[in-house]
Amino acid sequence: MPVQSERGYVIVAQNIGAVDYIACAEQLARSIRHFHPDAQIALLTDTTTVQSDQFDYRVTFTHPLSDNPYANDWQVFGASPFRQTIKLEADMIIASKIDHWWTMVEHRDVVISTGATDFYDQPATSRFYRKVFDTNNLPDVYNAITYWRLSETAQEFFRLVRRIFECWAEYKTLLKFPDEIPSTDLVYAMAAQILGPELVTMPFATYPRIVHMKRHMIPTQSQDWTQELTWESNPLRINTVAQWGAVHYHVKDWRYD
Amino acid sequence: MTTGALIFAFNNEHTDYLAMAAWSADRIRRHLDIPVAVITDCVDPLKLTKFDCVISADPVTGGTRYFDDYKQTVTWYNASRTDAYSLTPWNQTLLLDADYVVCGDELKLVLAAPHDFMCHRLAWDITSQNHFEGLNRFGHHKFPMWWATVMMFRKSNMAQYIFDCMDMIRHNWKHYKDLYHITGSQYRNDYALSIALGIVSGHTLKVDNIPWSLASILPEHEVTQIDTDHFEIKYQDQGKLKKMDWHSMDFHAMGKKHLGDIIASAV
Repeated sequence: MPVQSERGYVIVAQNIGAVDYIACAEQLARSIRHFHPDAQIALLTDTTTVQSDQFDYRVTFTHPLSDNPYANDWQVFGASPFRQTIKLEADMIIASKIDHWWTMVEHRDVVISTGATDFYDQPATSRFYRKVFDTNNLPDVYNAITYWRLSETAQEFFRLVRRIFECWAEYKTLLKFPDEIPSTDLVYAMAAQILGPELVTMPFATYPRIVHMKRHMIPTQSQDWTQELTWESNPLRINTVAQWGAVHYHVKDWRYD
Repeated sequence: MTTGALIFAFNNEHTDYLAMAAWSADRIRRHLDIPVAVITDCVDPLKLTKFDCVISADPVTGGTRYFDDYKQTVTWYNASRTDAYSLTPWNQTLLLDADYVVCGDELKLVLAAPHDFMCHRLAWDITSQNHFEGLNRFGHHKFPMWWATVMMFRKSNMAQYIFDCMDMIRHNWKHYKDLYHITGSQYRNDYALSIALGIVSGHTLKVDNIPWSLASILPEHEVTQIDTDHFEIKYQDQGKLKKMDWHSMDFHAMGKKHLGDIIASAV
């Protein structure tokens, strides 16, 4: 897609089964606009029927879609209408201003967020969901926040992401204990490892990262933290603690506002 | 501006906190060169000679607590600590637990800090037998704990907000206990302080911490005094009795019995 604007956020949302990722994306867009009314936001989706006025651009996938919905992620590079893009996973809420992210990452070609925090803003230490990363010494990346600018590095990175998804049977032989169906995080981690983590990541403490609300990261007794923890909206507080940046709420039908 | 230490000392059926505070007062003066005030219900002048200032107050219990070293549940007169801000005679106060043992001058750094309020975020076990995972957090969802063992505060809005907030939490303990999913009914100053710091920081948990962790000796570990600022700690490590020396650095004696024995033998 030709460049329409200098900077903006792209949210990828494909409804999967009963999960309404487009509703998640709308909610995320609203939370961005709460802090940045003038933000440019694009939705990348598989349907042309989305009516929401939260998006400045509605873009549909241009290439055939894979059965594994995650495997369509590479298309975001060509579909973004921005010269500089921050891709955000749909099931997140922005809980504070985030425009400083641009300042942090704008000198790089690609930045994939690394590490996560718990809702106390402490680095999450659980490795429950990251065993395959640790076993294979892969960088601890989360595709939930990924920045790139139009560049050869970004192009190469997303080419590699595509190749890994499409040739998973081949690439998975490089890993010990690989997943049968690759997650986007795992594919990003492999691509980062191949290109060189120093080229596409930044040290943990210095740039955007997600607040991870999965059960073993927090930890809670149940999968649905919204039923177990006290939360308040505007501003978002979880168990009384004010949240910052991107909160990856994980419970897909949680409607914050 | 006046600067001094402040210790709460209300004896219970097992522990002579006043004797502990008196023993500590000498050490504080020697290492930190500041006067020491005590808040106590004791009126016996012979027991109060070690203090530069004596403030009378009634003991307020926060409940009972099981102490591993006594193997018993004892009454805990901890609840009036939230009055420290209004009772202190000093402009800058170093509020210490009676069982905090000053062995060096490290707290001079805290007194020299420009902040209005400081305390420890983390404690650690001197013997490395316990990782303190359960002690540096509290409640069902592991809220970060700040320790009320050592608090430095200046007369200031910030410090007043924190103590007022602790007092509010103490008076509404049932509500806060439920909100933070704290099991057991016992009120603890550490919990109230942590919750108060959360509230006063605007729920951000951005707090001015003492920039090192609180060295601690667990109740099940035996501590004896070798020399003035030299202590020996005996502990079990995988069934083997081990001992280690601790010299010229402060520590928090979490078990009162051994410290009580040291003080009794010193007297």
